[in-house]
Amino acid sequence: MIDRRLFDFPGIKPRVVMIAVLMLIQSLMIIIQARALSVAVVGLWNQQALATIVVPTAIFAVSFMCRHAITVAQNRVFYPFVEKTTGDMRERLMTKLFRLGPSIVEKTGTGNMVTMALEGIDKVQTYLMLIIIKIMDMGITPWVILIYIAFLQWKEAIFLLIIYPVIILFMIILGLAAQSKADRQYEGYTRLSNNFVDTLRGLGTLKQLGLSKKYAGNVYQVSEDYRKETMSTLRIAMTSTFALDFFTTLSVAVVAVFLGFDLMDGKILLLPALTILTLAPDYFLPVRNFANDYHATLNGKNALQAVLDVLEVPETKDRDELKTFTWDENASIKFDDVSLTYDEAKKPTLSHISFDVHGFRKVGIIGASGSGKSTLINLIGGFLTPDKPDHISLNGQKLPHLSQEQWQFNSIYIPQSPYLFHATLRENVSFYQPHATLQTVETACEKAGLTDWIKTLPDGLETMIGEGSRGVSGGQAQRIALARAFLDDKRRVLLFDEPTAHLDIETEAALKEDMLPLLDNRLVFFATHRLHWINQMDYVLVMDHGKLVEQGTPAELAAHEGPYTRLRAEMGGLHALD
Amino acid sequence: MHSIKSTFSHDTWVMPYLRKYKWLLVLVLFLGLMTYLSAAALMFNSGYLISEAARRPDSIIYIYVPVVLARAFGIARPVFRYSERLTSHNWVLRIVSDFRKKLYQAVETKATAIKQTHQTGDILSILADDIDHIENLYLRTVFPIVIGWLLYLFIIIGIGVFSWPVALLMALLLAVIVLVMPLISVAVNGAREFKQKQIQSQFYTSLTDEVLGLTDWVISGRYHDFMALQTKPIDEIAALRKKDHFFQWWRGLGVQVFFLLTVLTLLIWSGVAFTSTKSLANWVAAFSLALFPIVEPFLEISQGASEWPIYQQSIERVNALSNDEPEVPKQETLTVPVKTIDVNHVTFSYPGDDRVILKDVSLSIKRGEKIALLGPSGTGKSTLLKLLLGDETATNGSVTINGTPITHLQDQRAQLFGVLDQQPYLFDTTVMNNIRLGNLNATDEQVKAAIEAVELKPLIESLPDGYDTEVQESGSRFSGGERQRLSLARILLQDAPIIILDEPTVSLDPITERHLLDTVFNVLKDKTIIWVTHHLAGIDHVDQVRFLEDGAFDMQGTPKDLYHDEPRFRKLYELDAGKIE
Repeated sequence: MIDRRLFDFPGIKPRVVMIAVLMLIQSLMIIIQARALSVAVVGLWNQQALATIVVPTAIFAVSFMCRHAITVAQNRVFYPFVEKTTGDMRERLMTKLFRLGPSIVEKTGTGNMVTMALEGIDKVQTYLMLIIIKIMDMGITPWVILIYIAFLQWKEAIFLLIIYPVIILFMIILGLAAQSKADRQYEGYTRLSNNFVDTLRGLGTLKQLGLSKKYAGNVYQVSEDYRKETMSTLRIAMTSTFALDFFTTLSVAVVAVFLGFDLMDGKILLLPALTILTLAPDYFLPVRNFANDYHATLNGKNALQAVLDVLEVPETKDRDELKTFTWDENASIKFDDVSLTYDEAKKPTLSHISFDVHGFRKVGIIGASGSGKSTLINLIGGFLTPDKPDHISLNGQKLPHLSQEQWQFNSIYIPQSPYLFHATLRENVSFYQPHATLQTVETACEKAGLTDWIKTLPDGLETMIGEGSRGVSGGQAQRIALARAFLDDKRRVLLFDEPTAHLDIETEAALKEDMLPLLDNRLVFFATHRLHWINQMDYVLVMDHGKLVEQGTPAELAAHEGPYTRLRAEMGGLHALD
Repeated sequence: MHSIKSTFSHDTWVMPYLRKYKWLLVLVLFLGLMTYLSAAALMFNSGYLISEAARRPDSIIYIYVPVVLARAFGIARPVFRYSERLTSHNWVLRIVSDFRKKLYQAVETKATAIKQTHQTGDILSILADDIDHIENLYLRTVFPIVIGWLLYLFIIIGIGVFSWPVALLMALLLAVIVLVMPLISVAVNGAREFKQKQIQSQFYTSLTDEVLGLTDWVISGRYHDFMALQTKPIDEIAALRKKDHFFQWWRGLGVQVFFLLTVLTLLIWSGVAFTSTKSLANWVAAFSLALFPIVEPFLEISQGASEWPIYQQSIERVNALSNDEPEVPKQETLTVPVKTIDVNHVTFSYPGDDRVILKDVSLSIKRGEKIALLGPSGTGKSTLLKLLLGDETATNGSVTINGTPITHLQDQRAQLFGVLDQQPYLFDTTVMNNIRLGNLNATDEQVKAAIEAVELKPLIESLPDGYDTEVQESGSRFSGGERQRLSLARILLQDAPIIILDEPTVSLDPITERHLLDTVFNVLKDKTIIWVTHHLAGIDHVDQVRFLEDGAFDMQGTPKDLYHDEPRFRKLYELDAGKIE
């Protein structure tokens, strides 16, 4: 129910002590309130005048208000701590995200990551707010009340003491039984609601197949089946709350009956009896409150677990091994027998990769899909860490990985679909150079061939683009990425991963013309299966099943029969039209 | 109040279902009411029981009835509560089934068969969430409020039996709890919660934006900018939430203050009214204790009310969705086989947008002919396909099959057209079931034959579950090329005379692409094919190539003629082939 790591949060202990003190005062208030009300009622029962009960009634009213004011005080005391803790946690999570980079997102999924940072942290907040106060409440209030009742009448106190673990026991037994079923049910529910969304998304296909009208009945039927199944589980799941409810309510009734008989036998007077009766529901209140919030706490606990797990993922270390670095005509990058194995994979995705590149060169990386082209680009970009350190070197310096800040300051990565931020076109273009002047941004756009398109936009460079805003075609997105590269002249390493594969041939041809000047005087790694790019490359790496099977200049490779020529034949095999 | 009225003025989502399942609803409310009445009765009865017992009557008979009642109420409360929770969940789940169907139907009339964008997917998720919201509207707002009000009425009437002035005073005091505070909550807290949701959804978008663009952020090294982007919304939300919490805590205390006043009223009143005789005085404890179990539902009312603005938005959204149904022209039936498909001088622009997408486009396709459509994105290829399928109607000109407008043949659509698009949808079920969607009457042998035709037989049969293999969500069990082949098998079973290929190979590598296209044109050799493609791989399979440029046809002809006569085509072709200059 409670995560041990909870107590490692800084500043939690003094708060807990404060809550405990408040809780103790509150329990005393509950007792005073019950006692005072009973005194007043007994006075009236004795047919005393209304004036005689003014004092006890006033005490009742004051203690009642104190009791509830203390609840507010507890929340007020604890909230700043919770707010600060979750605030810090969110910040640490985002920092972690930035440090770990895209690889963690790939593992957890974009949606999950965003949900964790938003709703996950909110759930943790609710959890922290609930769990400490509720547990302290369960740990203090009933026992103070019980001790007082024991002073009044030990028999009822013993009954209440014995029934307590019975309630807990039943809750646990039924809770466990229902929980495993409920968990499965919850999975079923998630599947159903995902399925529903998927059905909606697959509507186009259903329409193509002429089934979309008929399918409405199916949607209803699936939902109804689920309802019947859920109800059978709910019946069990709710039995645990029923058991709790049953025992607590019946216990109050039993206490009342006991007291009735004791009163008749003269073993107790009305005042203590009435006090006990008034206190009995308060004795059970904390455990009932806890059960009511059980699900919120369970969700919160899981969310906390998930967040803490991400926070505990080790970060890539030694990101500043490379002190100062600029890629120029004399610089060199060397891979010497580099391998990479993904965490859960048995076989390495890349194995024994060796190459050596100097100065400004254009390096094409080709291979069939699944040959490891993208993985190699990601390794060069520093988004992945090789299996062993010191097999990669820059300017002769051996490095553990390429996730070097100085190396990344030199590089630009252009994937198949460059990501466009939800921002103005200008902000998008100047993403790597946020302080670039308008003039330089315009020049970069001009070089990237964006000027004509910008003229058609309502607000020119200030037009909002990206998700939910103005649609940008694939070709224009690539041009924006090019403009980013043109703008940032200091970044001399360009990493391309299939930049034109999904573009139509005309757009691709036009884009290529604007792209070629960018490739000069830079180090370029260009992964593609569009073979025409090879004509512009100085050097080619041929990948096959994670291995570098051939390398050389295009002319060298074309000169003899080998993996390169075979791949070209297979990929470029357009049936001749002439 | 006004906003509540306007939300429900054209409502087809909430009220009709309240009516449809009204008896179950009445049962839920009754059980909810009885739960709290039993709880109150237990304390009332117990107070009387011990007061009477304290008089030390001669015989146990005097307290026999209260003793039995104490046990009865002690059991009744949990039983009522249990039944109430089961009934209300059952009721809500029933409604959800109806909602799902209704939402599906509403979306179905608007969906088009071509190019479902990513964004439409998001809108659909939002709508699916709205249904969950309405589900909560019942469980968290409607039921607690109505049960609270019923309880309120009961208490007033109950006391009114004894004394009308006291009942009136109680009515006023409790009205603060059940009416005034919920209204204040809606006004103050509701607005805040709404604002908070708004910031949160913006934040959600911007955070997604950051996570999706994480690669660029990491490379840019702009750590401080990255963190700063979140600071503002987080602080805003935190401030709102803090106010929200404080309001809730103080409101809780406020409810307790008025509750205290009602308890005191009852205590003083019973002190005045019931102290004339000893046996009457036994009722004092009963009245003083009875109210305590009722404070819980009263606390829930305000909370439920303040959640209203969230639900309101959902209700308005789903209502907006279902209230405008498109008009469907009278349908005809085509009895003779398809001879020609004609696009006659079609001009098209989307309603409410003055940009002309297609300008006076004409195209005639004969039975069995295969035609490829090329052109940069945004030039109207997808629109032309929508017109061909009848998802859109031409602004000017007509699209006909054998002379009958395509919009009049929509009932027959699945018999006329088969469509293979970029990401054909595979449902989360077995291979067999997925393929059979093409023709629900197909035998197992026919399904297997179709799979064999698309060259997947060896692969499927090598899987442990064979044809009963689950394709998993969105068909993720299979690779892109395999998914396309499975969909192709489905189209084979569908056996429509006209096949539309909407860039089916865009996400495939050249080797997979070439093999897939060979299969497609091989198995569909008897069909009429309209193929939208983004480049020229496999172009030799078609009889006619058309380039669409700015909404009008540009280059056209057979692939061979174009290659010989059009330098531009030749250049593109050679680029595509990766020829070395």
